[in-house]
Amino acid sequence: MYLALLRVAFQRQLAYRTANLAGLATNIFFGALRAYVIIALYNARRLETVAGYSLPMAITYTGLTQALASFLALFVWWDLIRSIRSGEVASDLSRPCDFFWYWGAQDAGRALGQLILRGLPIMILYALVYRITLPPTVWHWLALGVSMWLALLVSFGWRFLISLPAFWIQDAVGVGRLGLPLMTFLSGFLMPLAFFPAWAVTLIRLTPFPSMVTAPVEIYLGLVNGPALLGTLAMQALWVVILYGVSQLVLSAGVRKLVIQGG
Amino acid sequence: MDTLRLYLRLISLRIRSQMQYRLSFALDVFGTAFVILTEFLALVGVFWRFGSIGGWTLGEVTFLYGLADVSFATMDMIFSGYDPGYFSEQVRRGTFDQFLLRPLALPLQVFTSEFLLRRLGRIGQGALIFGLSLYLAHIIWTPAKVVYLFIVYLSTIAFFGGLFVAGATISFWTVESVEVVNIFTYGGTAMMSYPMHIYGSWLRRFFTFIVPAALMIYYPALYFFDKPDPLGLPVFLRFLAPFAGLAVLTAAFAFWQLGVRKYTSTGT
Repeated sequence: MYLALLRVAFQRQLAYRTANLAGLATNIFFGALRAYVIIALYNARRLETVAGYSLPMAITYTGLTQALASFLALFVWWDLIRSIRSGEVASDLSRPCDFFWYWGAQDAGRALGQLILRGLPIMILYALVYRITLPPTVWHWLALGVSMWLALLVSFGWRFLISLPAFWIQDAVGVGRLGLPLMTFLSGFLMPLAFFPAWAVTLIRLTPFPSMVTAPVEIYLGLVNGPALLGTLAMQALWVVILYGVSQLVLSAGVRKLVIQGG
Repeated sequence: MDTLRLYLRLISLRIRSQMQYRLSFALDVFGTAFVILTEFLALVGVFWRFGSIGGWTLGEVTFLYGLADVSFATMDMIFSGYDPGYFSEQVRRGTFDQFLLRPLALPLQVFTSEFLLRRLGRIGQGALIFGLSLYLAHIIWTPAKVVYLFIVYLSTIAFFGGLFVAGATISFWTVESVEVVNIFTYGGTAMMSYPMHIYGSWLRRFFTFIVPAALMIYYPALYFFDKPDPLGLPVFLRFLAPFAGLAVLTAAFAFWQLGVRKYTSTGT
């Protein structure tokens, strides 16, 4: 049943051709901008590595983050909030499947569609214009595949969770607005987390956000190897479990509120 | 004068209705301010690691970033009705058509159709960061510079406002591709937050001579910091901000007139 939901969402995404094209144009512009900034930052140190990032790696990073941005829906996801506000959620909840995975399957379909329409094209363009790096070993490629989907689940879990306040707050868009900038900064999307002071990174790693962007990026760039690689994947999986658990708690409270209201 | 009074009355109504939902209003203000804070922290972290960008210090880049941001945020509040995303929705739903039936000037109606007071959060944050930059950067202030700073602020609001109006006008032809405007508005703000000489020549030239974003903040900044132009362009470019801003806004409204005429002539 979940596969059917995934497929429908995927096809729906493929149908949004103009929107995704416009989105790709945005990705290209911001990618180029950030690449210029990175190049200017490295400036005289073109042959050096900074915090483990060589210049080609840093440039590749700017492309990867753009590709991941649409895949992970880092910037906009109001679907669940809209459903709750419109009351559609009542019928969704009465379906014979887990509410979390009901939305998760659809999100996965959307993500796959956007990966194909925006993610891959931007990486191909980057490969043509810049000197980019590729994952060093087969294991990294495999781990990347796993990590990307785990990252999606972590991102989805977080977005699902921060959409739930819509059960209580009239205009829950406010909470969503708080959640999104947090995601972009702490996930390592704005700048590689490695660039920040060690104490800050240690604190940030206590949050789920690095598991969304930094994890797949660091695997791709070959910055994590061996046991650390498995550790990264394990951390991602752990966050999926945590976010799922917390979501279930909040969701049941929300459903109770809905029922009391006569939904 | 009547138009102005009407404008102020309608805006105050909008503000009052937004203040009704205290909690979500507070959340919105806090939330929009938060975006800037996180982006700024990322900037600080990067400068901590790299020291400078294109030869510019943290204080100087923060100046660009803060000024671009506070100008954009102010424009975003005043021109809320012309926000391409919002406006295209009004056209799609048909609410814009009602404006055409009313005996009020069209721009007045669009301007007062939305006035997002919550943008104050972003304006406040932008102002704070700009203020911080004044402390960090070493600027030798003269009365002329202070006056020009205020002019630059107003000109940049006009510039971004023009982009909004032009973006909204696109809705008369297609409602789907409006997202591309984000490249100029949000992309433009991001681009203007860094010294222009770090960008490739095609990008620079486009944003200096065609969509004059560089004339709005970067070139005036060269004047404020008493820096020479690394690209060696004439000095008078630094004082073109008000003309560029007005030009963009005027051109945008000319485009708007065209769009409205086309829209009303197709018999909707």
